[in-house]
Amino acid sequence: MSDENKSSSVPSAGEPVATRSAAPMWIIVTTLVLLFIGGIYFDRHSGWFNPKVYAPYTSAENLEGFQPQSGAAAALARGKKTYEAVCGICHGPDGLGKPGQAPPLAGSEWVVAKGFNRLAHIPLMGLAGNIKVAGKDWSMNMAAMGAALPDDDLAAVLTYIRSAWGNQASAVEGDDIKKIRSGMGGGSQPMTHDMLMAMPE
Amino acid sequence: MKTGLSIFIAAFIALGTSWCGFVLAPLLQLGSAQQTVILQTTDNWPLQRTGAATLGLQVYRAYGCAACHTEQVRQTGSAFEVTLTSLGNQKPADFIEFTKSLFVLPGLANYTNAIAASLNGWNGGLPKTLLTATDKDVATEMADRLKAVGVKSETAIIATGPDIARGWGSRLSVAADFLYDQPVQLGSLRAGPDLANIGVRAPDANWQLAHLYAPKSVTPNSTMPSFKFLFEVRKVGASPSPEALNLPKEFAAADGFEIVPKPAAKQLVAYLLSLKANVPLYEAPFTPATAAK
Repeated sequence: MSDENKSSSVPSAGEPVATRSAAPMWIIVTTLVLLFIGGIYFDRHSGWFNPKVYAPYTSAENLEGFQPQSGAAAALARGKKTYEAVCGICHGPDGLGKPGQAPPLAGSEWVVAKGFNRLAHIPLMGLAGNIKVAGKDWSMNMAAMGAALPDDDLAAVLTYIRSAWGNQASAVEGDDIKKIRSGMGGGSQPMTHDMLMAMPE
Repeated sequence: MKTGLSIFIAAFIALGTSWCGFVLAPLLQLGSAQQTVILQTTDNWPLQRTGAATLGLQVYRAYGCAACHTEQVRQTGSAFEVTLTSLGNQKPADFIEFTKSLFVLPGLANYTNAIAASLNGWNGGLPKTLLTATDKDVATEMADRLKAVGVKSETAIIATGPDIARGWGSRLSVAADFLYDQPVQLGSLRAGPDLANIGVRAPDANWQLAHLYAPKSVTPNSTMPSFKFLFEVRKVGASPSPEALNLPKEFAAADGFEIVPKPAAKQLVAYLLSLKANVPLYEAPFTPATAAK
């Protein structure tokens, strides 16, 4: 019996055995590509698990951009923008001035003075002749760069330079500039050191 | 059971990672949440509910309100809106002509077109919304240029999205809104409207009570079931109760009877009226309508 069975069955190679085989290369590549795309998406949209960031905001910077700006913050942002467009070319974005071009504003006694009357006259009228700024003598001519700026913009610029780069002085309002402008008279001569010293601070 | 250890380790990892994802990560992210400050004010948000409203949350939970109502407003975008408030000494026609030169760069031509579209047929009425869906730089630049020609405008941040378009809220719901909810009744199905701002939308307690007793008496197409068991129908005593509902004839009680809310109904209404997630927060900024005026 057993002999018959043996002879009638196909000689087998034994039990089938599962062997380890390498994962196909395309699966590995696809997985890596998907992980990479997922990583980029996560970086752009997740806000990095910041508890304050919810969709539709994508990051803390994005959310910050939607914060309503009021009062002081808005004036400073406006002043910075105008300063960099108009004044920063010579006085430098860091307010340190440039040798041979413009004196520094950071730490300048003219900028951080208690009152801003003299300071405001410089962009409104221009400046000529010798002037001492932060212990150094300067002899530059400045055109009336601020004469064409709206009152609010000039006030924002003055507020900005009086509070940036370590300067600490009071803010300037648009109405203050309006008053100073109306009190200037019709003269178009640039200010000099003596003229500035002759007017109230 | 020679694979017992591996099965245990695999199960432990599977449950452990999901615990980390569903419990630990949210706890680390939001577990230390505290009262925040409403934007541009010194007021705190949210405030602790009154006693009746706190009990009302449990009534809300007990009767399964969250099965058909959500308490979460979704938002799909934010935009800046520039609104004209004063023309100064310009005439409307001149102003329309001027707006054509506001954005000259070709990349910003769609803004010029949007302004032209919004000013189409405008007769000078103020305030007038000039531009929505702008980004911040464009809105700021526009406000600056308008100001330079003596025209006054206001820039508002508005939240956009289908829920907000339905009038269900003015911004998305954030975790801070639910600080004092225990448990939070977010809900996931909207057989009825979202209730995150029901205290703003329907601030009348008598309306809320009538709506609970007979929803169709105040909103004829409502599919909400009646919660009559929260009310007591009783004989009018020496004088009618001041709390008795004032309902249309077909819903009212028979002559000589009055419908009076039980404590649970009053608590539930107190809770509903406390749902007012309509203040701007740092994480959900917008310009409130009252401030824009």
